[in-house]
Amino acid sequence: MEEMISKMKKIAYEDLSTKKVDRVIGFGKGDFIYEANPIFISNLEEVDLLVWDLFCVNNLSKYLINELKNYQKIGIFLKGCDSLGFNQLVKDNKVDPDNVIVYGVPCEGMIDPNKLSKKNLLKDLRYLRRVDEKLIIVTKQGEKELIAKDYEYDKCLKCKHPNPVVYSELLESNTLRNSILTDDFEEVDRIEDMNSEERYEYWSEQFSKCIRCYACRNICPVCSCDKCIFDNLDIGVSGKAKVDSEDQFFHIVRAYHVAGRCVDCGECSRVCPESIAIDKLNRKIIKDITEIYGEYDAGLNPSKSSVLVNYKLEDFDPFETSKGGK
Amino acid sequence: MKKITEEKLPELYSHISQNHDLFVPIDQDDSVNFSLWKDGANVNFDVLKTNTSPKKYIFPQCETFFNFKSEGKKLTIERIKSEEKPYVVFGVRPCDAKSFRLLDNVFLSEPMDRLYEEKRNRGIIVSMGCNEPEDTCFCNSFSILPNSIQEGVDVFTLKLGNKIFWEAISENGVELTNKLSDLLDDVTEGDLKEIEIAKSQVNEKVKELPFSNIDPNEINRDLNELFQSKIWDEISKSCIGCGSCTFVCPTCHCYDIQDYDGNKSGERYRCWDSCMYSEFTLMAHGNPRTTQKERFRQRFMHKLVYYPNNFDEYACVGCGRCVGKCPVNMNITKVIRKLGGENQ
Amino acid sequence: MLLESKENLTIDKEEFKPLIVAFCCNWCSYAGADLAGTSRLNYPANIRIIKVPCSCRVNPNFVLRAFQNGADGVVIAGCHPGDCHYSTGNYFARRRLTLFTSLLNYIGIESERLKVDWISAAEANKFATVMNDVLEKVHKLGPNRKLRDVRWKR
Repeated sequence: MEEMISKMKKIAYEDLSTKKVDRVIGFGKGDFIYEANPIFISNLEEVDLLVWDLFCVNNLSKYLINELKNYQKIGIFLKGCDSLGFNQLVKDNKVDPDNVIVYGVPCEGMIDPNKLSKKNLLKDLRYLRRVDEKLIIVTKQGEKELIAKDYEYDKCLKCKHPNPVVYSELLESNTLRNSILTDDFEEVDRIEDMNSEERYEYWSEQFSKCIRCYACRNICPVCSCDKCIFDNLDIGVSGKAKVDSEDQFFHIVRAYHVAGRCVDCGECSRVCPESIAIDKLNRKIIKDITEIYGEYDAGLNPSKSSVLVNYKLEDFDPFETSKGGK
Repeated sequence: MKKITEEKLPELYSHISQNHDLFVPIDQDDSVNFSLWKDGANVNFDVLKTNTSPKKYIFPQCETFFNFKSEGKKLTIERIKSEEKPYVVFGVRPCDAKSFRLLDNVFLSEPMDRLYEEKRNRGIIVSMGCNEPEDTCFCNSFSILPNSIQEGVDVFTLKLGNKIFWEAISENGVELTNKLSDLLDDVTEGDLKEIEIAKSQVNEKVKELPFSNIDPNEINRDLNELFQSKIWDEISKSCIGCGSCTFVCPTCHCYDIQDYDGNKSGERYRCWDSCMYSEFTLMAHGNPRTTQKERFRQRFMHKLVYYPNNFDEYACVGCGRCVGKCPVNMNITKVIRKLGGENQ
Repeated sequence: MLLESKENLTIDKEEFKPLIVAFCCNWCSYAGADLAGTSRLNYPANIRIIKVPCSCRVNPNFVLRAFQNGADGVVIAGCHPGDCHYSTGNYFARRRLTLFTSLLNYIGIESERLKVDWISAAEANKFATVMNDVLEKVHKLGPNRKLRDVRWKR
């Protein structure tokens, strides 16, 4: 960790002082040991605020859209999942990659403070460190060794790209972890196995928890429309009423609008204040695409077009019925 | 003062729910929220902060003013009549109880809000003190003690071990207590001593919390200077413009009024709105706050300057929900500190 | 909170007249409907046809709003793949609707309620069969309560 932080500071300091970049987006320490937040640096004195620890979970790539309006050249620290979001922003023509220098940071998986809190480990937490698959924490009561997997964010447990897929410079570390998972869509299967009444009940219950804060939309690196239809009163789509049908409408449209572009970074589920299983919608679409149109690769290759803006003559056709009538 | 043991609580719940809708913190799918009590519900008083605040019972996220219907050339308007049962909210923490009072300032001053008033009068607030404040609590900064009995509370309770102490405060509270008298026992001398000790202990704990040095009174409330301050540019940078903070906040009370057009009939309703949204206070000429910085500033100026200028109290109770829920960890404590509201 | 309950909708099956919304592409399916009419083929009267320039014009919002505002079934009909007036529109629509129908099914909407088919301008017979078929299936399922906006009065 400390090694990584000094590398980060060094590269940010160098590039800012040589005017290679005029803005750096990275992580800073929050009020608690289990909190890190996005910081924006233009002055050399502020470089010292940069940190890297087990709580740098935010996907910073979306900030580029706004920051590039005011700055010419931006340096940004991106993890594996963030780099997928970055590629997608480039593909959607939201960000010009020539104006960005990506410092790739390999990620070991981030720790979810809520999971620590459920085991009563958050209070009086003084220090924590990860050694491979172990998590060492020091509290008032002393030192404890835990299994890191039990405390990682759900989205990190499913991570397929811990290392950045695109970067100008890779900040290497000895903790490089390789993708270990094969995606089995187990949680999607579980819902598919229900009958339609059960599925509807399940989703109605999930959606009715929604408080319409739009955190899932705003954190999403591919939800990048200048004006979202849910903010546009003129077109009669934005129903603000808290009724089930409007909640369902929002969630279905949101999920479908990112179909084929969702990079499965899991930020939407992480930020949901009511813990709605938003990613299970996205992952259903990903599963379908994988099964019907071949391997899902959103965010991997910025020059290849998305599934839904493409077609093949011989595509699978589920709608074809026998021709003619009686 | 009375008391009841934890084992007998379900009996108390079913007794209350005979004549009232009873709302308690219920643990469902790993998240605790105030919901309607039903037999077998998993009531959880150990989690200090429910996901969203209980303000939804006095100021629901969405409520209808009236229905309208058109038949030929005739337009009829129909008022919504409330036929709902009286309700009891059990387990309202002192910070949330205080927030009800802050909302009263807005909705119950002239012109009176009819819908709010009706809901407010229909409810009985059973408050519950806190023993273990969390790291994110900063109620003390707004002079709310975790065991204080807030104005407007009908019954005050305190849970110590498996005992729940029950103290009727208002007339409504006394009435409810009388109805429950079969279930409640009298307290002993020892119990009273126990309560005293617990109260002083928690008051000590509060002083050691990470946010204990936050003091909004230290902020120089010069409106012009604060409004023009450069600080807003810097701290609003990371805000993504979602409404989680406003919608989990117990004191946020801005709303929007919209019409639902449903073929031949429709309704006019109001629903929560958030100053973080781009269409907040949208007018014919456009939006008065065009950037996220201005929207962000609006929220905190409202809580720390505009509201206090009107009512002499801050529109924040330090519950810390926004601290836990913000996707990018930007919250009111950071803003207060940046504005100079910190004790050394 | 405002979920329309099953109990409210125990309408007698005999009385139940399903409302079907059909999005028809201007160049093929709408002309097919026209031909069905002029050929005096029988197809049910409770089908409301909405003309769209191309099947790929059908935004998922349209389908959801139809269900919200009283439709018991939705049909989307376009030219046969390869016959699109705009050359490629229905190829895109095919991909989009494949995913969308699957997503709605995942949410719990019975797949019989959302029907996609390719009907050319000459296939008046097919148009009538498809509509009769959808109507029959929806009738069997009964009134739709899923996705319905409770505030909407028919």
